[in-house]
Amino acid sequence: MIEIEDLVKDFGSFRAVDHVSFDVQPGEVVGFLGPNGAGKSTTLRVLTCYHPATSGRVRVHGLDVLRSSLEVRAGLGYLPENVPIWPDLRVEEYLRWRARLKGVPRRELKTRIAETMELAGVSEVRRKLVGHVSRGYRRRVGLADALIARPPLLILDEPTAGLDPNQRRKVRDLVRMLRGRHTILFSSHILSDVEDVCDRVVVIHRGKKRADGTLQSIAHELGVAELRIVVRTDDAGALVEGLPLRTSSLAPRADGFVDLRASLLERDEQDRVVDVVSRRIRDAGIDFRELHVFEPSLEEIFYRLTLGADALETGTVESPTEEEAA
Amino acid sequence: MTDVASSGESVEAPEAERTTAPLPGTRGSRVFALISKEFWSLLVSPVSWILFALLYLFRGFEVSDLLQRFARAGDVDSFPTYYLLTASTQWMVVMVPPILTMRTLAEEKRSGSLELLMTAPVRDWEVVFSKWFATWLFYVALWVPSFAILLWLQATLDVSFPIGQIATSYLGLLLVGSMLLAVGVFTSSLTDNQLLASLSSILFAVGLLSVPGMLAGRGAATIDSGFGRMFLEQANVVAHWQYWFFRGLVDTGHVVFYVSATALFLFLTVRVVESRKWR
Repeated sequence: MIEIEDLVKDFGSFRAVDHVSFDVQPGEVVGFLGPNGAGKSTTLRVLTCYHPATSGRVRVHGLDVLRSSLEVRAGLGYLPENVPIWPDLRVEEYLRWRARLKGVPRRELKTRIAETMELAGVSEVRRKLVGHVSRGYRRRVGLADALIARPPLLILDEPTAGLDPNQRRKVRDLVRMLRGRHTILFSSHILSDVEDVCDRVVVIHRGKKRADGTLQSIAHELGVAELRIVVRTDDAGALVEGLPLRTSSLAPRADGFVDLRASLLERDEQDRVVDVVSRRIRDAGIDFRELHVFEPSLEEIFYRLTLGADALETGTVESPTEEEAA
Repeated sequence: MTDVASSGESVEAPEAERTTAPLPGTRGSRVFALISKEFWSLLVSPVSWILFALLYLFRGFEVSDLLQRFARAGDVDSFPTYYLLTASTQWMVVMVPPILTMRTLAEEKRSGSLELLMTAPVRDWEVVFSKWFATWLFYVALWVPSFAILLWLQATLDVSFPIGQIATSYLGLLLVGSMLLAVGVFTSSLTDNQLLASLSSILFAVGLLSVPGMLAGRGAATIDSGFGRMFLEQANVVAHWQYWFFRGLVDTGHVVFYVSATALFLFLTVRVVESRKWR
């Protein structure tokens, strides 16, 4: 459905997207992640034919976005990051106009608009001016616009940004409902939303692709896992000293125990780390409640791929070497 | 209302319609949709109605003054010319096109809605043409009451105004209007500031209405170049009105000049809109 090969987009001397390649298969819901300024929206604008690529090949439905721009646009529904909707139209009028613009047959307009408003949950504001509805509704009107022509591909740029938790949940439920019927590229900062609805994630940072795959496969490739130890001691740090771990939190609990969480830097070392820590606990005769290793959160993966990677590159966080770990 | 998104089950999401992407609708239907939306925006804009009210308030005073003069002179043939060559007409030509067009693209750029518009299956020229054509239609609509007043005067005064002369006068005004509207859409495409767009457009209109006349009067002797003289003559809008359109005469050259100038500014606007692709 989407094929991006070696995409580069420059704005003057600034390279916004730097040799990014990834595919999206029909029916997939793919999360597109990256910090602010990572190049997400620029990539989406190239996909939606708003900006041409500086180099590289971008195809949607097998059509080149530059050569067959109009046909590509006819087959996609796009929700931009800031939903800039024309404020002097009522919600229903706005959707009617967009439907006509996108070639929805006149005889189907009425039912199509009613169905889409129901689907996006904007029926109750159908008679309100778009400029007068709340931000959450405006976002959902934008979603209804993206859906109105029933395009096979939906490109949603930050669909849950600025929404309250209930509205976010509704948008997530809607995306889940559309799964399988549309191919969806879902860009977001809100990691829990992506974790919740996406089959696969593509992470970009500073214009470069950092990861592509399911959360499990990315975590595995990164070789990261989280270790949690709940012990009663004043010096919990000593238990993990010299091991390939990065302490992410150390919190005292009301019952006198401390809760230590650390990221495992070498996935292959998992068994050895658990053995060493449990031996140290036993040898020191420390009371403990928990000692276990679990999959990292998307937040941790995101950190590792973006800011964590930057910190490692600039040397502000030291990763223990194998010798130190041993 | 059933909130489907929250219940998740009461309405089933319809299937996507296409697996490939044939172009939906016809070009005509897309352009018609664009024009009707633009026209609607002008129709519901308070600015349009304030303009309308002010123009016809002035025209009312002007007509009352003209009627007193007409009662004295009784010159039926020249009445339509005086009727159309008033201060409110100059306002209609100089001020109205910039005000009607200032938001066409500047507002879309400021709010970011241009992105949403251009990612729909429409061509750049379709958007530019529709915006211009909708404002031109609205501009025509603004002139219609003045024609209705003329017909009413004809019936009330029981006289017969020269219809051909009136028709060519309106043709002249609408042709200049179409060019200035194209200029307005062009200046609106250059900035996201509506005020700046309208001021630039007003400056152009004032220049067009005054500079060729001034130069022709003062500098005709000093302009040796045949092209220079021809250009001044072609661009002298007021002379076109006074000596041609308002006398019931239509020179094809003048018509071609306004149509070409309109096409040129629309073409330049399309290039500006397309320039996002070069950056």
